[in-house]
Amino acid sequence: MTYPLPMGRKFPKITIDHEKCTVPFLCKKCLQICPMAVFSVARVMEKEKRLEEMDPRIEGNYVLHAPRRDKCTVCNLCIDVCLVDAIKIEVPAVGRVRPKVSGKQWGQ
Amino acid sequence: MCWLCEQFGDPEYGNGLWYLNPKNYARNMYKLRAPDAGFKGAEVGLETGARAGPTTQDLLAAAEKGDHEEYDKIRTIMQEGGQGSQVLPLEDADRVLELCSPIGLIACICRKDVRAIDERNEHEYTCMGMGVGMLKWERWPERYKGGCKFVNIDEAKEWNHEMDKRGFVHILMLFGAPFIGGFCQCDYPDCSALRSAVDFGIGTLKGHYVAEVDYDECNGCGICAQRCQWGALKFEVTSGKANIDLFKCFGCGLCETGCPRGAIKLVERKSVPALAEVWQ
Repeated sequence: MTYPLPMGRKFPKITIDHEKCTVPFLCKKCLQICPMAVFSVARVMEKEKRLEEMDPRIEGNYVLHAPRRDKCTVCNLCIDVCLVDAIKIEVPAVGRVRPKVSGKQWGQ
Repeated sequence: MCWLCEQFGDPEYGNGLWYLNPKNYARNMYKLRAPDAGFKGAEVGLETGARAGPTTQDLLAAAEKGDHEEYDKIRTIMQEGGQGSQVLPLEDADRVLELCSPIGLIACICRKDVRAIDERNEHEYTCMGMGVGMLKWERWPERYKGGCKFVNIDEAKEWNHEMDKRGFVHILMLFGAPFIGGFCQCDYPDCSALRSAVDFGIGTLKGHYVAEVDYDECNGCGICAQRCQWGALKFEVTSGKANIDLFKCFGCGLCETGCPRGAIKLVERKSVPALAEVWQ
């Protein structure tokens, strides 16, 4: 079996302030600018509302997520483009990984 | 033989290919939902999906921890919980469209979720629904808000060829196996079925074909390289011709239909020994 994901690497943590980001389906700026398509917009699913058409202009009908943060390169295009400053990206602290090589292996 | 053919194929029809077995298009395959049942399948949004079982988020968390065992476990659950889907080349797509009825053009749900693209009319639709489920589309107004345009077989084929020309991959979707309910036109990274197949190796099965290059005919124009959504085909600088990584090839045939010189041919997957059982 192959591991397409880089095992053990920490991915950026993307936080969306839903109090600021209220109409993502209407705005759609981050969704369309992201080169890696990290974001996703979902309808707020409630059973009693399942049969209703949801107006994207009404606040809270849609909610923005960042399900594919493993693909985020922290290029910050979404932060630049956001009109309400709702997106925060935390870059994980990753030290430089050095392979452990003992001198003895190389006959030193 | 892929698991779909093993379970739903019939040797009498279309060489045992599941999607050429007319029985899989029968009306009685369509499953009605029990009145008090919860959200399922395509109805599961990100919110409810989180409660239904492990999601991509759990997979990412396991990868971050570097926990191979957990990763495998989640991947297997996501794999088995999937509805089933397979990549089809254009020629097979035409044969499928002859078998099913009705056929309706609809808005693509993946492009709506990922790029917030709201397809509202027949000129914008990039998805095709099929089977008796299409007659119940008003049940999910949010999904079919853009409406639905019912087409006949010739119109459907013409539309499908047009999508192929634009560069979309054709993926046949099961909604409650073996009921065949949709024909997606996919590209990377908008389409979730295609993307989880490329990124995680789950979900969509590779097609029953792989593409091979005729190096005498190929002049290295590079059109095919623009059309490959799988990262399988590239322009090899050394030889100045197309080069295909057959382990990455999903057999969608877009390189074949795009080649102006007919230099790429699809061959049957089972005719290539090392690829015969490579479905994901």
